Amino acid sequence: MSTILEVKDLSKQYSKVLAADNVSFSIDEGEIFALIGPNGAGKTTTIRMISTLIKPTSGDAIVNGYSINDKPEKVRESITYLPDEAGAYKNMTGYNYLKFMANIFTNDKDKAETYVKRAVEMCGLGDRLNEKIASYSRGMIRKLLLSRAVMTYPKLAILDEPTSGLDVINALEIRKIIKDLANKGMSFLISSHNMLEIEFVSDRVGIISKGKLLVVGKTEELKQRYNVANLEEVFERVVLEHEVY
Amino acid sequence: MKFINLLKKELRELINAQMIIGLVVSMSLLVLIGGIMGDAIEDAVSNSGDVYICDQDNTEFTKRVIENLNAMGYNVNEKSVTKEDSVEILEELNINSLIIIPKGFTEGILKNNAASELEYISRIKSTSAMASLRDGSTSAIESIKSIISNLLMQEGYGLSEADITVLENPVNLKEVTVVDKKSANVSASTIIGMASTQGMIVPIVIFILVMFTSQMIISTISTEKIDKTLETLLSAPVSRLSVLGAKMLAAAIVALINAVAYMIAFSSYMSGMLGSTLDTTAVIGEALTMSDILKELGLKLTAGGYILLGLQMFMTIMIALSVSLILGAMATDAKSAQTLVMPIMIFAMIPYMISLFMDVNSMSNIVKIFVWLIPFTHTFTAINNIMFGNWPVFWGGLAYQFVFFIVCMYFALKLFTSDKIFTISLNLGQKMKLKKVKKG
Ligand SMILES: Nc1ncnc2c1ncn2[C@@H]1O[C@H](COP(=O)(O)OP(=O)(O)OP(=O)(O)O)[C@@H](O)[C@H]1O
Ligand SMILES: [Mg+2]
Repeated sequence: MSTILEVKDLSKQYSKVLAADNVSFSIDEGEIFALIGPNGAGKTTTIRMISTLIKPTSGDAIVNGYSINDKPEKVRESITYLPDEAGAYKNMTGYNYLKFMANIFTNDKDKAETYVKRAVEMCGLGDRLNEKIASYSRGMIRKLLLSRAVMTYPKLAILDEPTSGLDVINALEIRKIIKDLANKGMSFLISSHNMLEIEFVSDRVGIISKGKLLVVGKTEELKQRYNVANLEEVFERVVLEHEVY
Repeated sequence: MKFINLLKKELRELINAQMIIGLVVSMSLLVLIGGIMGDAIEDAVSNSGDVYICDQDNTEFTKRVIENLNAMGYNVNEKSVTKEDSVEILEELNINSLIIIPKGFTEGILKNNAASELEYISRIKSTSAMASLRDGSTSAIESIKSIISNLLMQEGYGLSEADITVLENPVNLKEVTVVDKKSANVSASTIIGMASTQGMIVPIVIFILVMFTSQMIISTISTEKIDKTLETLLSAPVSRLSVLGAKMLAAAIVALINAVAYMIAFSSYMSGMLGSTLDTTAVIGEALTMSDILKELGLKLTAGGYILLGLQMFMTIMIALSVSLILGAMATDAKSAQTLVMPIMIFAMIPYMISLFMDVNSMSNIVKIFVWLIPFTHTFTAINNIMFGNWPVFWGGLAYQFVFFIVCMYFALKLFTSDKIFTISLNLGQKMKLKKVKKG
């Protein structure tokens, strides 16, 4: 299996905080990797660097063979990014938003149509897609944006808190979609602070706290290593362990 | 008390660093403008004692009139002219106004017992309100009339008392107004009145346009930033130049549609006003429309003039857009987005006010350079510069605006192609609070 994302010692120093501190990990083709950590841990910062939105202070990440530092425009061809708490153009209808975004990703009309069709199916909004986004609920917007993020079948989908604001049923549905797509070969980098949910969806997790990636591994492995029942407890143990020093 | 608690929260939200800075800046600006205006008025008034007269009649009577005028406190300078043409006369003497007492003036009054013609030539350089605050010649003309009436009344000059019909109105005034290299037989105040409506409405239109386009760009950029749709776009395979370019072009198109609509409305309004025939006191000779006269003086905007004005407006809109791109990028929330238009408003307001009241070109050099550095100044003075043919100032201003635009675009592009767009913010209030927390 080939590596889609290789993160090498990525750091980001904001004016006052070191938000990411030598973060390294990698994601294989068809793999779902979850960055988990408490609020302010540096998840979004790491994700934004990989999405080519902010420049790392040091370090690099290779996406599908291209460096985020040297070839960001090439990286953008292989990824899609769903920001945390994102909105959409309120005056557009859901359908037109999908169409607009599809035409951002391709110049090919037929391809764009295929993208939109996929997204329409995945988001499950039905007729509501013809209404303005201003009238959508938070969860509806989230589903619209999620389906937008995967409709192009990117090599790597980067989703920041993909299920935040979704109810249990919808969250479940989204997780299923993500798993199905991963089985087809798409890779995912997702972030969350909902450990239990992450346990169901991800193949591997990285626990990040105060900018440092503390542990990386398969969920089962980690549970065994720390001899606990679930990921939440793993997280607790890891964070506590590192606070001692 | 719950109410006090609420009130405190509201006040704390309203009174922040942005508001205080805004207040300080606008207050110091008002003081500054007040100072500039005061100087300008002083200049205008201090010259008001100077009167230039050319006595071509040169009789005992006219000499006495001039003596009396001197006695009244006017600083009368006698000049002689060799030229015929009004424009050439003013150029020859290097002055801006001249009262001419023509040959036969005395004879007309004393022999024919009829009103004689007095010629008054004046040059206007701008249509700002200050332009009507002119030298003392206009009041000197009134004084000449009363001096003549008094002389006739006291000394009779052989006219029988019953005969002195001329007493009532001894002087017919023939006014000639010079603009650049052209002249027309019409009073300067009529021209200024007319042209300043033209010069008054265009700035209003420009001001509205600048504010409108700036607000448009600032709000689209800031909502994209706040909604994070910008993050989605900038992580997508689309060039950032085209993201910015599309925004600017769209805003420019909307602004231009507005500009054209305003200009059409404006020109039909002007032609309605200018079409009216003037009464004969304003124009000696044939009945002309104001439009004809403005055209004769070159004050009416020709098609070429409108094109230049359009070019100016376009440049202005582009500057407003590029500055707004930068300002919009600084928004962190909807409230800060609203106040971001402040700098543009202030820098459009200063030249707008100044151009309404004063002629920038005739201000002192230091003040002039300071005012010229504000890019929007060249917009508000453009119509005057076009009308009065101040081409170096017009083109220089346009060139400066172009450079300013390029510099702004360079910074805007830098902002959007680097990660600064996601890390900068102008939230001074928050920064100050942070510092306090650290110290405390
Ligand atoms: N633009 C910025 N400028 C300065 N500091 C920032 C900026 N963005 C984030 N930070 C800081 O960097 C640290 C990490 O933030 P980040 O958003 O990456 O956390 P996170 O793990 O995504 O948290 P959450 O779960 O709350 O989304 C925080 O301390 C935050 O305050
Ligand atoms: Mg986050």
